[in-house]
Amino acid sequence: MNTDFPHLDLTDLIGAATGQDADNRVTAHLAGCADCRAEADRWNVVAAGVRGLVADTPEMRPLARPRRHMLADPRRRTTLAAGAAAALVVLGGAGYGATAALTGHAAAQDGTSDNAVLLTVVRGCAGLKMATGTLAAVNGDRLVIDTPGGRPVTVIVTPSAMVSISGASLSDITDGAPVTVMGARSGATLAADAVTVGQTKSLISNGGGQPTRGVTAKARPSQALPQPLVPDKADIVAGTVADAGAAGFTVVTSTGGRVQVTTSGGTLVTVMHGSVGELRVGATTIAAGYVEPNRTLSATAVLQPQPKKPFSGRSQGTVTVNGCSPTSIDNALTTAFAVGA
Amino acid sequence: MNDPHREAGATILAVARAPGRDDAQLLRRIGQGDENAMAEFYREHGRAVLAQVLLVTGERALAEEIVQDTMLAVWRGSGSFRGESSVRSWVIAIARHKTRDRLRGHRLRVVDDTFLADLPSTGPGPEVMALDRAELAEVTGAIRELAPPHREVLGLVFGGGVFGGGVFGGGVFGAGLSLPEVAAVLEIPVGTVKSRLTAARAALSKILNEKGQSR
Repeated sequence: MNTDFPHLDLTDLIGAATGQDADNRVTAHLAGCADCRAEADRWNVVAAGVRGLVADTPEMRPLARPRRHMLADPRRRTTLAAGAAAALVVLGGAGYGATAALTGHAAAQDGTSDNAVLLTVVRGCAGLKMATGTLAAVNGDRLVIDTPGGRPVTVIVTPSAMVSISGASLSDITDGAPVTVMGARSGATLAADAVTVGQTKSLISNGGGQPTRGVTAKARPSQALPQPLVPDKADIVAGTVADAGAAGFTVVTSTGGRVQVTTSGGTLVTVMHGSVGELRVGATTIAAGYVEPNRTLSATAVLQPQPKKPFSGRSQGTVTVNGCSPTSIDNALTTAFAVGA
Repeated sequence: MNDPHREAGATILAVARAPGRDDAQLLRRIGQGDENAMAEFYREHGRAVLAQVLLVTGERALAEEIVQDTMLAVWRGSGSFRGESSVRSWVIAIARHKTRDRLRGHRLRVVDDTFLADLPSTGPGPEVMALDRAELAEVTGAIRELAPPHREVLGLVFGGGVFGGGVFGGGVFGAGLSLPEVAAVLEIPVGTVKSRLTAARAALSKILNEKGQSR
């Protein structure tokens, strides 16, 4: 970083986007600099697009036996003419093997392409994978997600799966609903930037789901929300909704505190306990789960981020979960892709 | 390429790369005529080469021929690897030369990297904002429309990833090189790599913005 200039330079931003050089200095700067976060997010978008294309590379085919003149090498001709040809036969085998590994279940079931399936590793839970793309179809508990490059992934939503829908209506905030609200505090009132309806304890930095003192807990980037997602001066409060109305509602915390929350058309509402039937066909959709032998993804969590602001490049980036329960996975997805995005 | 952070978050198709692999040792075995080593090298790097070449050429059949040329060059010239770079960047550089040979006559047009110099550095314009609004599918589609040199540099920098695991088999795909490695592959200074990256992103934003306006 150029120390004469307060912002991260291109090397830092690229390093952050590729995960090569995201050291503490860069991370700390991103946590406190909205401009650099925006720039890093844009590079993340570019990186994710490239990875999406690259991941769609077809399987390798066996290499053809080379023409003899291609082997001309005065120093090694006598040994290479036979050796190279033999090696390329081996390569052919390797190519076939790779292809077979990917297409071994040739009779791909459930509409899933028998070619490469775009999945992303989710850290923190062995075997957990994530599919990101556009929801193409919903049939009962079965989703088809078109991944970048057009390859479909069939997702089976398990009965215990958490389905979260961001960009929901303010009317989804109803009395008695557990919520987490993030916004800017002014006196005793919180102007909500984002409201998550459902169990969202992991979003609170003290880990207990409730502010320990006062009415709100300050979001602590290093522990709870991914740093690029924490707005400057954001406050978070969690509790139960009361007095829900058109202009806002009251959050009743577990200690009995009451926080007045105002909402607006710009408030992002995420419903964390939606149903499969509420998912929007054509919207960006993220499903996390486990790959089944029939090559479907058995999802424990499904998320649709906010329409038209769903993709910040993180869909191809790292997501870390704190546990393998549907709630933990759903919280992680919501934190990474919806809240504050 | 063995960075666990990268692998953990990378897009996958299918078995993670074996940790601690010694690519240089692999090349030494290839130099001794070890066919198994060559097969292993192909499994390890073949798809990365194919991905990068395909990104640049956009033609699968041509890209596969170039991969074949590249692997043959590796078999014949493994001794030329001097350990001054990673094996991945070395083989990508070979593939780039093979691509250039194949495309000779319609040489890749390099976009002027300096045209962005006069752009204001503060405040994102509407084209930059297009990236903020873009869907993933829109971004991938727009990348396909970039000029080959722009696709090339983006692929070299951001193409790293893992395919593998579970029922899908796999390995590491994509280049995903450091900026100095990209500079070595492209045979240009690191500063020029940066300006080309910036130009590529600007071109991408422009395409996205135009597509957004046409909707």
